[in-house]
Amino acid sequence: MAVFRLGQSWDPLRDLEREVDRLLQGVNLTFHGVRTGRQYPAVNLHESANEYILTSELPSTAPEDLDLTIANGVLTMSGHRHDEGEIPEDRFRRQERPRGPWKRSLPLPERIQEDELSADFHNGVLVVRLPKAPQEEPRQIPITSD
Amino acid sequence: MSTDHPIKPSQDLVTANRIEDSTSAATDRFVFTPPIDIFETADGLVLRADLPGVSLDSLELQIQDNRLTLFGRVETLLPEDAVAVHREFEVGDFLRSFILSDEVDYDRITARLSHGVLEVELPRAAQAEPRRIQVNAE
Repeated sequence: MAVFRLGQSWDPLRDLEREVDRLLQGVNLTFHGVRTGRQYPAVNLHESANEYILTSELPSTAPEDLDLTIANGVLTMSGHRHDEGEIPEDRFRRQERPRGPWKRSLPLPERIQEDELSADFHNGVLVVRLPKAPQEEPRQIPITSD
Repeated sequence: MSTDHPIKPSQDLVTANRIEDSTSAATDRFVFTPPIDIFETADGLVLRADLPGVSLDSLELQIQDNRLTLFGRVETLLPEDAVAVHREFEVGDFLRSFILSDEVDYDRITARLSHGVLEVELPRAAQAEPRRIQVNAE
């Protein structure tokens, strides 16, 4: 699935991860984000007839805490996860939720109308819509001979 | 005397299986255990759970006996014809339950949901007043 132009093109752990995923699917219950070494946040990319849709789970992130930029076919997302009010560390009895600043760059699929990109939040899920650019007509290349 | 841990995650797996059995029609859905924070405040405890994609209408929070259970159903945001071309996370529902101790005042529990985070306030129950016992001399 080489939709992203850059990124990890060869990763020997991928297949093992898939196998573990398959096993966990059988159990139908798994900890969210239990694997380490994954880039935060995780993203999914879907394709429909006229657009790509990037989704990412970003709970505890207000729109003003999120920064989206696009340049040269790379979408850069950065943000800061924090809750209202500072809670001293010694008050915690259990701390499982990730926190702090993060940044992730994603090479976008080709033929995207970069200026038509839109993003919104639904209950902590970021949805970025990337409309496809219209297909160009095939261009005839004249051949000359002497 | 109450325990050291007034709130503790119960056997999530057991609960998950039971709920799954009762709704066997939807067994192809994922059920995730959401990450949580629990911290103390002056008034009691606060529980926060990451539930991205769960709306107020699709969230169930209930207390039965001393068990607090949260269940959030996640609706898809994608159009029907969308095909996955790159996948790093699965979309599923969220389920987790906790055993509350007597230290929590069950009647005053409140909760709110914002930006995909559920916050449950668990106020501490008022301490029983010390009672003086009259000792009568013979």
